[in-house]
Amino acid sequence: MLKVAVGHSNDPDSAEAVDEVIAQCQAELAGVQPRAGMLFSAFDFDHALVLQHIYQVFPELELIGGTADGEISSVLGFQQDSLTLMLFSSDDIEIRAGVARQVSQDPVTIAQQAISEAQQQLTAAPKFCVAISESLTTNPASILHGLQSALGSVPVFGGATADQAKMEQNYQFYKAEVLNDSVPFLLFSGPICFSHGVASGWRPIGKRSQVTKVIDNTIYEIDHQPALDFYHYYLNEFATDVAYPLAVYPPGEETFFLRGASGYDAEVGSITVAGDVPEDAFVQITEASLDAVIDGTRSAFEHALDQYPGQKPEAAVVFSCSWRRYVLGTRTDDEYKAMAALSDIALPSCGFYTFGEMAPFKNSNRSFFHNTTFVTLLMGHQ
Amino acid sequence: MEPTEKDIAFKQLQKENRILKKKLERSEADRAKLEQTKNSKESLLKQVIVELQESQGILEQKSAALEQAIETLTLAQSKLVESEKMAALGTLVAGVAHEINTPVGTGVTLASTLADETEILVAEVARGGLTRAQFNDYLDTAQEVTALLLSNLNRASELVHSFKQVAVDQTHLEQRHFNLKNYCEEVLISLSPTLKRTSHTLTITGDADLYIESYPGAFAQVITNLVTNSLMHAYPLGKQAGHLTLDISQQRESVLLSFKDDGCGIPANNMEKIFEPFFTTARNRGGTGLGLQIVYNIVTQTLKGKVDVTSEVNQGTCFEISLPTNTGAIPKND
Repeated sequence: MLKVAVGHSNDPDSAEAVDEVIAQCQAELAGVQPRAGMLFSAFDFDHALVLQHIYQVFPELELIGGTADGEISSVLGFQQDSLTLMLFSSDDIEIRAGVARQVSQDPVTIAQQAISEAQQQLTAAPKFCVAISESLTTNPASILHGLQSALGSVPVFGGATADQAKMEQNYQFYKAEVLNDSVPFLLFSGPICFSHGVASGWRPIGKRSQVTKVIDNTIYEIDHQPALDFYHYYLNEFATDVAYPLAVYPPGEETFFLRGASGYDAEVGSITVAGDVPEDAFVQITEASLDAVIDGTRSAFEHALDQYPGQKPEAAVVFSCSWRRYVLGTRTDDEYKAMAALSDIALPSCGFYTFGEMAPFKNSNRSFFHNTTFVTLLMGHQ
Repeated sequence: MEPTEKDIAFKQLQKENRILKKKLERSEADRAKLEQTKNSKESLLKQVIVELQESQGILEQKSAALEQAIETLTLAQSKLVESEKMAALGTLVAGVAHEINTPVGTGVTLASTLADETEILVAEVARGGLTRAQFNDYLDTAQEVTALLLSNLNRASELVHSFKQVAVDQTHLEQRHFNLKNYCEEVLISLSPTLKRTSHTLTITGDADLYIESYPGAFAQVITNLVTNSLMHAYPLGKQAGHLTLDISQQRESVLLSFKDDGCGIPANNMEKIFEPFFTTARNRGGTGLGLQIVYNIVTQTLKGKVDVTSEVNQGTCFEISLPTNTGAIPKND
């Protein structure tokens, strides 16, 4: 049995909001003690207070979470400045929380070690991992690389924490702690089944150029010209704009992934993108129409439903890129509506708007760090 | 103490007020962000339109250059076709020259024999010792030689006549009234030196009384090219004695020419390409890939007919040329 409860409050008052969320979850759980949970919170809340309230009620909870750029749930749909909590309870499914701290020092090794430690707490091999990653202090793609290398073929799903586009600081939650530069995660093992879908909606437009100088996630030159000129050419004075990521075609490949420009150096003319870019890759600027973005949401959710190996999913966890929200504007709620229209209304769902998403591509079990995608993770008892 | 209804309503109002204030604050920030996104999009789309216009200009230039290249190629192709025709005429001249050489050579020998005999006779007369028997011998020889001389010169004259006709027909495409089978036989004479170098035979069969009003030069070219094509491709082993046949017949609304060989046949994957210009499997042996293309053009354009080909590997190939009676070739049975 897997019991899932979701609470969601848009009350800007931290204490009021968390108490409302806890009350909603308790009503759903009907006295059953939750084993683990995920908390997604707007940046402005008093996070320590929120966690303190939760731990007063559920002291044994294996909780992870982080700050978000918008929250989504089956209780209130899409909200900004809200707090949403998803709780899991099961007799036989094992869920353990772990954390990688100060990841910027050595993202790969620290993430690897944290996974190994958490795996020792489990009595069975993990089926999948949900990770909430720091996004500003270090490149989340490196963190994912560390997590994935320790987990082997066990897929990682998740998102990078956000700070409502301030790009200054964001927080992760591990049990009752408010952290930064960290990656809390949950490992799921036992009789649980899952499926996922990932889609974007952005399409390449304009001319295709070649990356001629890049180090990790900083692109210095495109077609032997400063990389920033490439953006200036299209976006005029707006320098880089995250809503217009680059489609990156690795050398010799005709399929692309997206990399948004999260920062730039006007003096050097370089742009920093949210994830590694291979040398000699071809890049093209992209754009998205509102309908194409919503179609992406629908297609990711549909794919997850089609692939679901069990009878019926019992929970949906979603990670949607905050840049989707910037493009969708007042239509952001359509993402949740599109997804809800495809599923049973009663499917408990919870998720957040991220600074990057983690999920394997279709037909793969090695996770990739995405930008501008909508990731759906469905799960349920076997 | 339980909260009163008023307390609950007040609390709810306070909460709604907090939410509204927060939403207002957030919507200002979001609006600025959306405006930037919109401005970026406008700039992006403008730039993409500029790129499209540039690409369109480049495409137009490329398209013009391609048109020019096609024109040049078409011109070059027609020049090549013309020179191929001239080369065929050259083969024909060489063939006829060889044919004429035999009767003319024999004529020269016969004439010099007669001259020698006459000289002896004149000498005997001058010496006053000419006998009747000698004179009778001379007369017999003179009679025989002049008969042979006449027959050889007639043969040469016939050859010149048919060559003149074929050559004129081939260089000046003029319509005239002619017997199709006889004309094909005349063309065959010009091809006989080529055939003699092989062990193959060519037989012309069919309606000997079929007259048509058409372009004889076109027929000459078609037959020459079909025969040359078979000789070049159908018998690659060389030793085989092939049988080539050309059958002429008339059906109610068309004239049919059926040219067959019993050679190696055409592989299926080449069948679609044999009429294409410059397609040849014998470029190393001087093939130009224009022979059958010329056949196709003459049959379909000049003679307004159609040409079909059937072939079976190791059995042979058959070209069926069908010419309608109402256009181009007008058959007339005299």
